Amino acid sequence: MPMRTESLVDQLSRDLQPVRPRSPVRDAMLLLALAVAEIAVFLGLGFMRPDMPAAMDQPSLWWKLASMGTIAGLGASVTILAADPLRSPRRGLRWMFACMAVIFASGWLIDAGGSDLGQLLHRLDWRNGLQCVWKMDVLSLPAAIGMAILLRRGAPTDREGTALAAALSAAGWGAFVFVFACPSDDPLYIAVWYTVGCAIVTLLGRAILLFVSRW
Amino acid sequence: MAAAQQGDARAYRALLVAVTPWLRRYFGRRLPPGAVEDTVQDVLLAIHEKRHTYDPARPFGPWLAAIARYKWIDRLRALKAHATEPLDETMQAPDDVEGAVAGSTFQRLLGELKPSQATAIRLVKLEGYSTEEASRVTGQSVSLIKVNIHRGLKRLAHMVRADADAD
Repeated sequence: MPMRTESLVDQLSRDLQPVRPRSPVRDAMLLLALAVAEIAVFLGLGFMRPDMPAAMDQPSLWWKLASMGTIAGLGASVTILAADPLRSPRRGLRWMFACMAVIFASGWLIDAGGSDLGQLLHRLDWRNGLQCVWKMDVLSLPAAIGMAILLRRGAPTDREGTALAAALSAAGWGAFVFVFACPSDDPLYIAVWYTVGCAIVTLLGRAILLFVSRW
Repeated sequence: MAAAQQGDARAYRALLVAVTPWLRRYFGRRLPPGAVEDTVQDVLLAIHEKRHTYDPARPFGPWLAAIARYKWIDRLRALKAHATEPLDETMQAPDDVEGAVAGSTFQRLLGELKPSQATAIRLVKLEGYSTEEASRVTGQSVSLIKVNIHRGLKRLAHMVRADADAD
């Protein structure tokens, strides 16, 4: 064995410290605790929409919650699994994209139930929409930081795919929390502005997480 | 490795010593000879930094192979990013069977590219031509030479990845 490598082996074994093996269940519990804490703080600060009891009768509220929760949960699961060097995120990402297609299709069905297509611009309400984008992107930050820590600790061998799954999860997470404050139940508004907000987090998050996950 | 996770330095050292020859053979078949030892050391460091990601309930071999493959692709990307220098024509090359195997594998992969891409890579990356010289030799514009090198190397990386998956 050449000297340099032998020295490295000596040094690595000499400095050895015990480590606790990584546990996907523990990682999932930590992310869940972070999500619950963020929702509690957000609602505790009084950001919940005032008409929440009435909004709970609207199918679009449940559509928003289920859709964003599914994206956040699926993305987090894929990220946790793909932080293991033996696992690929590709299959999970395919499931995520399939879910997004179902989300858009179901939103269109809800919209077709009772909407006036002649007032598209009015329904988009771009001033409120931009505020929504800003808020949901800020709400994605805790998730993005949590994902970055998870990826730094893991050893993803498909960093591009894993960073994409983590960024999508952070985007879905921010949007999920924002649903509790979002004043609009119009599926068109939701489809457009939630997509814009999630796309910004996904693009920026993927680039940063790809860099952070390098090992 | 399970013992190493609990801090058993002797078991850990024995493990690193045992995997080193396997890593040398692995990279000897896949990388230029000059890059093998550095990559072996990269993997040893990665094993050390990421040893908590090993699950003691599963076999060690696939975990090691996944890390080796990741570092191999990482090294190929780094090689792609570095400019090559022309070799001295009078330099004597020692007999090197593993290097020859790696070289012939590379030539086979190069043969699967489009001729314009393979020519651009061969001239600029292997024979040390500048992009302007390669442009004059091939009749391709300088920007086309650059595009062909970029696309060719990207395609090579895909083929290498597919070969690794087949392994």
